[in-house]
Amino acid sequence: MATPHLLFPRWSNHLVRAILGAVGIGGGLLVAFAFSYFRSPLFTRQNEPIDQPVEFDHRHHVRDHGIDCRFCHTTVEKGESAGYPPTEVCGSCHGQVWNKSPYLSTIRASLFTGKPLEWVRVNDLRDYVYFNHSIHVNKGVGCVTCHGRVDEMAAVHKFPPMNMGWCLDCHRNPTANLRPREFITSMTWEPKAPETAESVGAAVAKQNNVHTRESCSTCHR
Amino acid sequence: MSSLDRKPPHTSRARYWRSVEDFKSLDAPRENASHGYPELVGREFPVGATEMDGATRRDFLKLVGLTAAGTMASGCMRNPPERILPYTRQPADIRPGQPLHYATSAALDGFGIGLLVTSREGRPIKIEGNPDHASSLGASGTFEQGLAYGVYDPQRGKSVKRAGQAAGWKSFLSEVKERLPVWQKDGGEKVRFLDGPTASPFDGWLRKQIALALPKARFHTYAAVSRDAIYAGSELAFGEALEPRFDFDKARVVLALDDNFLEDGPDRLAVARAFAAHRVPAPEVEGGPAHPTEGQAEHGHEEKGASESAWMNRLYVAECGFSVTGAQADHRLRVRGSEIIAVAAAVYAAVSPEGAGDVAALAGTWSGHKWVKAVAKDLAARGPQAVVTAGVRHPAEVHALVAAINVALKSQVVTYQKPVLLDVKSGPSSLAELGAAAIKGEIDTLVITAWNPVYTAPVDLHFGEALRKIPNVVYLGQFEDETAPYAHWYLPAAHELESWGDSANPDGVVAIQQPLIAPLFNGVQRGELFGAFADKVDRGAYQLLKEAHAASLGDAAPAGGFEAWWERTVQKGVLVTAAPVAVAPTLQSAKLLERLRPLKPAAVAGIELNLIVDNKVYDGRYGDNAWLQELPEPLTKVVWGNTAILSPKTAERLGVEAEAIVSLEVGGQTIEAPIFVLPGHADDAISLAVGYGRSGAEAIARGVGANAYPLRSTTNPWFGATVKLALTGKKDRLGITQEHWAMEGRPIALTHDVTAPKEVQKRQLRLIEEQAPEHTITMHGEQPSLEFTTQSAEGYRWAMAIDMSKCTGCNACILACESENNILIVGKDQVRRGREMHWLRIDRYFEGDLADPQVVSQPMACVQCEKAPCEYVCPVNATVHSDEGLNDMVYNRCVGTRYCANNCPYKVRRFNYLNWHNNLQGTLEMKMNPDVTVRARGVIEKCTYCVQRIEQARIATRIENHGKGRMLNDGEVVTACQQSCASGAITFGSLHDPKSEVSKKHKDERAYQVLWELNTRPRTRHLAKVRNLNPELA
Repeated sequence: MATPHLLFPRWSNHLVRAILGAVGIGGGLLVAFAFSYFRSPLFTRQNEPIDQPVEFDHRHHVRDHGIDCRFCHTTVEKGESAGYPPTEVCGSCHGQVWNKSPYLSTIRASLFTGKPLEWVRVNDLRDYVYFNHSIHVNKGVGCVTCHGRVDEMAAVHKFPPMNMGWCLDCHRNPTANLRPREFITSMTWEPKAPETAESVGAAVAKQNNVHTRESCSTCHR
Repeated sequence: MSSLDRKPPHTSRARYWRSVEDFKSLDAPRENASHGYPELVGREFPVGATEMDGATRRDFLKLVGLTAAGTMASGCMRNPPERILPYTRQPADIRPGQPLHYATSAALDGFGIGLLVTSREGRPIKIEGNPDHASSLGASGTFEQGLAYGVYDPQRGKSVKRAGQAAGWKSFLSEVKERLPVWQKDGGEKVRFLDGPTASPFDGWLRKQIALALPKARFHTYAAVSRDAIYAGSELAFGEALEPRFDFDKARVVLALDDNFLEDGPDRLAVARAFAAHRVPAPEVEGGPAHPTEGQAEHGHEEKGASESAWMNRLYVAECGFSVTGAQADHRLRVRGSEIIAVAAAVYAAVSPEGAGDVAALAGTWSGHKWVKAVAKDLAARGPQAVVTAGVRHPAEVHALVAAINVALKSQVVTYQKPVLLDVKSGPSSLAELGAAAIKGEIDTLVITAWNPVYTAPVDLHFGEALRKIPNVVYLGQFEDETAPYAHWYLPAAHELESWGDSANPDGVVAIQQPLIAPLFNGVQRGELFGAFADKVDRGAYQLLKEAHAASLGDAAPAGGFEAWWERTVQKGVLVTAAPVAVAPTLQSAKLLERLRPLKPAAVAGIELNLIVDNKVYDGRYGDNAWLQELPEPLTKVVWGNTAILSPKTAERLGVEAEAIVSLEVGGQTIEAPIFVLPGHADDAISLAVGYGRSGAEAIARGVGANAYPLRSTTNPWFGATVKLALTGKKDRLGITQEHWAMEGRPIALTHDVTAPKEVQKRQLRLIEEQAPEHTITMHGEQPSLEFTTQSAEGYRWAMAIDMSKCTGCNACILACESENNILIVGKDQVRRGREMHWLRIDRYFEGDLADPQVVSQPMACVQCEKAPCEYVCPVNATVHSDEGLNDMVYNRCVGTRYCANNCPYKVRRFNYLNWHNNLQGTLEMKMNPDVTVRARGVIEKCTYCVQRIEQARIATRIENHGKGRMLNDGEVVTACQQSCASGAITFGSLHDPKSEVSKKHKDERAYQVLWELNTRPRTRHLAKVRNLNPELA
């Protein structure tokens, strides 16, 4: 009896197995890639200095001159947004000092024409996230905790990944990140030995009646 | 026996039904029913859910592949950089991200309502009532809420036009300036103004200034819904035009003669609040009534009966159509519009025997009518606490009769005041006078600031033709509507939220109108236009307004100087003026009776036409407001358009069915409209709302519904005309929200009749008790609710209580919710597919007799179940419980399986079938509330008790006391629906505080859980509707 006619040659069995294996491994790799990619600075844009329309140097203003964060980011204790300084805040000093500097020509143009400066957002949360600065600052989370050593950044970059896992890490255990309110804007504050960040944080948490929430509607509305 | 004649068969429970189809199917076995309601219920998925009908497998795979590829591509993309544009010079009060609230006011047909507008970064996004304003008391209605849409409406007129060609405002001004000396030669004799009714002191001052420049110029006033009859009626009764003012706080028995007083009139919000306060069995005091135990129940009810009738009011309504006020009535008389006068006469004859003989002819057979006799007896028994009101659509004689009845009753509810309107005459007669002058060539220039008179004028005035005879017509209107083509100069009007001005309420409380935003489309403010004719061109509306108020103060210099006083006044929004002087008029009964003696009730043969004022578009002016257009009409639940409404009996007699398009002919004018069969409508009459069928340039309003104005004449402006009805053979598909998301006829909206026979009361109370939380415990045993497992640190347990006794079903809450939560409109076609997006809906249930049913309105949004059925079917945890009892909805997690919506017993979840917000045109995006996510296609959304308001209030209090914070007080968080509700039907708060309002309401004996048997433990409890029936009529 003749061999029944086969639609596929025998070796195609191996091919199918190989393909199935490749799909399996490839899928796994894809998932692994996705997990690492979305957590990597490549996606989160951590540590990427952002070009701004004005070459504003935080090192110079914060470290060298010791200007407090709240001088420009005025609403950080009162509102949702920390606030971006209107051009006239720049002008209030630079009307007197360096008022002819070519670096400040954009500032002067904005002041004279009334056209706002177009800053590029560094910490860009997704639009479905409702973050409020005032509650964090008033409860004792320092600026440096989330924004890093801005006083050492020539061009400001995003410091932490700012993804949901990072938010929740702190919301689940906030004490290590709390500091007394008088040091909120300090870039260099460290707990004095023998106290630890934990012990100081615990005291602040008690004093400020800190209790974090993890319900979805805390941030998503 | 026809199926329509039968009474509902006796059962142990009250029978609730939602439509005629529903009623018919109550007894029909489910399998035999082949159309309408049962079919909808029998479907596996809600209407519109199975949209892949007809697609092949290949199409499906293509779509799946494309979607997967798209999702992956978009997921891997990094966010595009976002720009931040700070101010160059930051205004003092503005903190980016923080809302600001400004007081302003808006007038409708002359009377103002004070408003508080929320502004975000210079954009008005939400309207609330001003609690300091006597006509608002913090509440706002649909028309006020709709202003937030209207100001951004991209269909508004955008440029000044001269003879249809774009021109500038400056060139208009220079033309006026050129012509002023010419007009002044004869004192402005040929200059006329046609304005809407107004009580604004600023308008009064401007008129005086115009009189200085043009002493002989004349003002005419016209409005489609005029109050002429009220003033003419009081002139008949008292010899002078007076404004009747009703204090419903004092009323215990009310008879409304075709008067929709809960929705119409200058004081509708304040009236609704005062009325609702007495719609509950006892005043809301500390502690609340105790829950009656089984043994005491019977005794308790007897005692309560007495005190309830002392506090609770009783409402009788006689009307033709079915209004929101009628739906609240304890007893309703279905009567045609032309017969209302006879009913009034019959009531008058009964309460005032000395005049009975004179009105006997007018009252006719109504004197012997059981309903009329019982009502008159009840009114007379209550005397000073009883009151009769009549609707504006009825003639002066009815208002005079009502005044006479109130005098006979010695009613303390009604008082009289001098009208505050600048012109008390604003009806067709005023327009007729103007038209006659135009045809005689007596008018050279006419400035129209009234709303769209060509569209609303009675058809026999031929007002458009008269306008053609005038060489210069100037029209100031927000839209290039039907009147604009008749104008030589069309001026786009600035919106209420873009203009300076002021308004007055009937008590003379003046509210300043301040703009929230600079005119978006080059709008011209009223003040600027009138200023031009007063030779005050360069002043601008703001300066003129200040001048007007400085002038009104006269020599009485306010403390701190005028500027400081002015700033305070603008900030507060309300100007406290002297208390209104009540007039104590004497009834001229001899004169009145002489006038009434020869009158006979008009015998209207055949079907009577009953034109009604629409509760969505009013007289048509809100036609382009898509928010209002998509509101379901409170009784018919029809969106986007009007319908010819008739009673089931009349429909059966005429052989017409719902949705059939009929032609309606009155006096040679014919229009076509679809039929709606509404239980409770008067027989032999057709109700049709005016304000639809627009043909102007407004894209949204154009072509929606049928234009009823051609059927309106000066002799029969609202009713009284015989209408010839003919079938056209065509059929319309109405957008009706009524039968979607039906609840299977379970006892969901409960009522309690406090004066009903004892056994009825006992049955009703048992039904309420069965749905109450205590009963759940006895049935299922004490079960841990979620709040015990996920206790929040602060301990708030958010909850809501909705009092169905107070709810009138007016829709204000739906619009407030829509405005607050960025809910988008979907259009008529999508509503037909059951895809409306309103998070909050008001279910209207009929109860009892098909011809004359009772109505229960039940607001229903997500009830935030403690054991939420939606949560455990979500595969991606997109809907989960918060630690404070909210059923959170995480839009960014939702993948759109719709399992939750299918598993929701309350059917309150809405799905974004399409990307509704992608269709938004330019300015409409500006009205979005930045505190709420704008949902994309493929995402479920629903009410979360305005969680953005909770979080805002929480953060504000948590950062007080140097970061220590404090707990929120009861009433510090107000939801959008609660804030707008004029009758105060909605209470929101936290259950952790046993003294909070909502805790008390939850413990009220009327409180129950909707669908308790599912043990979902809703955090929103409804309070059963209470009726105060007259035992003689029950």
